[in-house]
Amino acid sequence: MNKELEHNFVEMLEQHQNIIHKVCRLYTDNYDAHNDLFQEITIQLWKAYPKFRGDSKFSTWMYRVGLNTAITLYRKSKRRIQTQEFENVQFRIKAEEYDDTEEQQLKLLYNAVHELNDIEKALVFLYLEDKDYREISETLGITEVNARVKMNRVKTKLKQILNP
Amino acid sequence: MELLKKDWKKQDNSYPKLSYDEIYKMILKKSSSIVKWIFIISLLEFVFWFVISFALKDTDAMEHYKKFDADAVLIPLAIIGYVILAYFFYLFYRNYRRISATDSAKTLMENILKTRRSVKYYVGFNLFYLVLSTVLFLWLEFDQDTIMINKVNEAAANGEAFKLYAVIILTTIVLLAIVIALLLGFYWLVYGILLKRLNHNYKELKKLEV
Repeated sequence: MNKELEHNFVEMLEQHQNIIHKVCRLYTDNYDAHNDLFQEITIQLWKAYPKFRGDSKFSTWMYRVGLNTAITLYRKSKRRIQTQEFENVQFRIKAEEYDDTEEQQLKLLYNAVHELNDIEKALVFLYLEDKDYREISETLGITEVNARVKMNRVKTKLKQILNP
Repeated sequence: MELLKKDWKKQDNSYPKLSYDEIYKMILKKSSSIVKWIFIISLLEFVFWFVISFALKDTDAMEHYKKFDADAVLIPLAIIGYVILAYFFYLFYRNYRRISATDSAKTLMENILKTRRSVKYYVGFNLFYLVLSTVLFLWLEFDQDTIMINKVNEAAANGEAFKLYAVIILTTIVLLAIVIALLLGFYWLVYGILLKRLNHNYKELKKLEV
């Protein structure tokens, strides 16, 4: 494949890489798995790039391919051993930004999200990214009504996990 | 949820930043997605049945059957086998090409399952073909093999013709069943492991539609 295409792609991806990191954050729980999934999403994006026509935004397209990879295409590699838990390594946020209760609450929330199934995580992810129901329904291939209903159920489920 | 959203946005700067070169290196690496695995395993299946049909062709046993007056049955059987192989391979390839990470999650899953299904039908056909050929060959044995006919006549003289038939047919059935069970067990294991997550997520999405 030609160099220019390669260059454009890598440049765009570098700019928007946060999207992939966020998907990885929801679907993996340690550093190695994060990198592994990141790599697979990057490969899938690159493979699909020739078909990307630019009729949607590059970032919108990334959400779709990223989630598809996480939900469907990705195979967890067994050869990698579990290393340190993520939470306290990569995404440590300065303690002074939070009062204790809020931080505690957030930690519980993130843990609760990790307990959701793959599809529910996808919904939460798109919600957190401020996607409207039309985009959510198109990304997952369900109707808008069903997306709404499911989102409400996910919220209820999260509440239940938090207050059993 | 709102709290979570606020925090989620705050963290935008806390993610690792990969450089241009790091990303560039990634796109040169090989994918290890399940689609690739399904493709490899499916190809192996096609090769497996193809090799088997060729390996059996020139064995002594086949020479033995070629002496019989059975071309009218054996030749069409072979031709049907190859035509169906070609058809399934075309189907498999077409479905494989349709898989695109750019589709919606549901369409993507459906296309993967379709690709998998075309191979499944092919395997099913082969098992059926195996049973059919066995029955045919058994019939040829009884009908045309002089040694076998003599044995049957001898047994009939002793009043044991039924016993002889029963033993041969039962043995064949048991052997066939073992082979089929082994093959099915193998497929079940390989695809079960490979598609567990996909099937689970697909069901989850389907459930939303009821």
